[in-house]
Amino acid sequence: MSGEKMKLEPEHEMMLAGEAGKALARAMITLVEYGKAFGAKRMMPIKSSHLAGTFGIKVFKAYLHILNQLVEEGVRCKVLTTVNPRPGYDLHIGNKFVFAKQKILETLLADLGVVPNYSCVCYDRVNTPELGDCISWAESSAVQYANSVLGARTNRNSILIDICSAVTGYTPEFGYLLDENRRGRVLVKLKIDEMDASGLGFLIGKKVVDKVPVIENYNFSKIELKNMGGAMAASGGVALFHVEGITPEAPDLASVFDGDPKEVITITQNDIDALRFKDLDTATSVVFGCPQMTYEETMLLGQHFAGKKTKLPTWFCMVPEASKRFEGSELYTKVVEAGVKVVDFCPLAGFSLRIGNKKLLTPSGKLYYYLSDTVYGAVKDCLKACGV
Amino acid sequence: MTLLKGRPVFGGLASGPALVTKLPMNFTASFTKPKNIFPWWRSQIQDRHHDLFKRNVKGCVLIFPAAIGSTYTGMVLLELMYQECAPAAVVVQNIDPLLVSGPVLADIWFSKGIPIVEYSGEDIYDRISDDDWVEVNGETGKIKIREQISS
Repeated sequence: MSGEKMKLEPEHEMMLAGEAGKALARAMITLVEYGKAFGAKRMMPIKSSHLAGTFGIKVFKAYLHILNQLVEEGVRCKVLTTVNPRPGYDLHIGNKFVFAKQKILETLLADLGVVPNYSCVCYDRVNTPELGDCISWAESSAVQYANSVLGARTNRNSILIDICSAVTGYTPEFGYLLDENRRGRVLVKLKIDEMDASGLGFLIGKKVVDKVPVIENYNFSKIELKNMGGAMAASGGVALFHVEGITPEAPDLASVFDGDPKEVITITQNDIDALRFKDLDTATSVVFGCPQMTYEETMLLGQHFAGKKTKLPTWFCMVPEASKRFEGSELYTKVVEAGVKVVDFCPLAGFSLRIGNKKLLTPSGKLYYYLSDTVYGAVKDCLKACGV
Repeated sequence: MTLLKGRPVFGGLASGPALVTKLPMNFTASFTKPKNIFPWWRSQIQDRHHDLFKRNVKGCVLIFPAAIGSTYTGMVLLELMYQECAPAAVVVQNIDPLLVSGPVLADIWFSKGIPIVEYSGEDIYDRISDDDWVEVNGETGKIKIREQISS
């Protein structure tokens, strides 16, 4: 095996020796072996964790076995640990079948001591790391935002690696935890007349796969950065991107690149337009919110629906806490009167199983990538399809 | 017979028929679709964006450039190994944390891991074709290829 040498502290050795129980020992061994594969030299203490495994999928058995072992031994999260959205268990009978283990899973997560935020946008108010913080997160869109927009440091950790980190309080040091891997690799030039951040993210992910892209200066909003990052982490394996003059580790091109960019790509308006679905009339529903919509995002988008009626079944998938705040606003009543369904589950899980709704239209590059029978539209295309 | 030397990443010795793709693999998109619920389609790739769409990975040696996509990857791979319908081994041009977690978790929690070898050379695609018999050693990094005899 590669990179045999990892320096371990007495606390790690104690855990490995099983002094804090068998399950915790296995969690630590997992992190050590995981780190060794990438030549990690030491374990780093983490400020927080974020877990992606929140769907109690009937056929996934190994995950619950591991959680059970931890809970039976009374293991609890050692750091602030948030969790991803719920899957929309109550949406229809099919989901109740697919997510049959939802209640068992949520009980296990509660026993581990997680914060029940149930959102992939955990960095909105609940789990917001700062520049330079070492964290161990799962959920590709959250990892992307934490690394790129907040300047915290995490690898793209898998489900279960996230839990091993949460319960031990450590992550092996490699990859995006190290300065040298956070430098830009590909310069992305834009020839775009009308910004569509999510579509742009989808295209960048396809082109750079897992390299660190640096997008030339454009004043993206936080909402755009969230949606662009989510798409980039789905169509590619991007864990960190920079925007010249906007994101914290890219004050200018000279400092974010180590010398000249290794590669330069250009994304044009034509590239983005080619992604957009043209036969809007044939769409059967419209889904917004993947990653979930924040309060601010909903207040902006909701305006378009006020005083109108949507032509198609339309869904706003929101951060649960933001959705509660939104329910208290005047706009909420108007949006609901327009026929929009405001929900707080994950559309990717919730709409995986659907019958007779074959052309789901979405402005989310991430949802478009993952969900079968889905077409992509810029936000304005989606609003047009809704007739608002 | 061809012998290649890659970088050993994880696991022991395994072999199987090659399944080769030049496209990055999105394991979440491949194995978490409604069809994958059914045991006979559990290990059939359901990612419609991929050229291995509808191919079955069970028992094969999967050869691909990189893993992409969601952080479900480790759990998806772990589950394939736990249910014994995973590839026999993987040879990948660039390892990444999501890919490695699956076999590591399967090995430590259930003793069901599979070998991973990293082989970055582009010549991998000239040396190995679909259905060649490939043996992968996760401890030494050795990849043995017995080419299919074409009739």
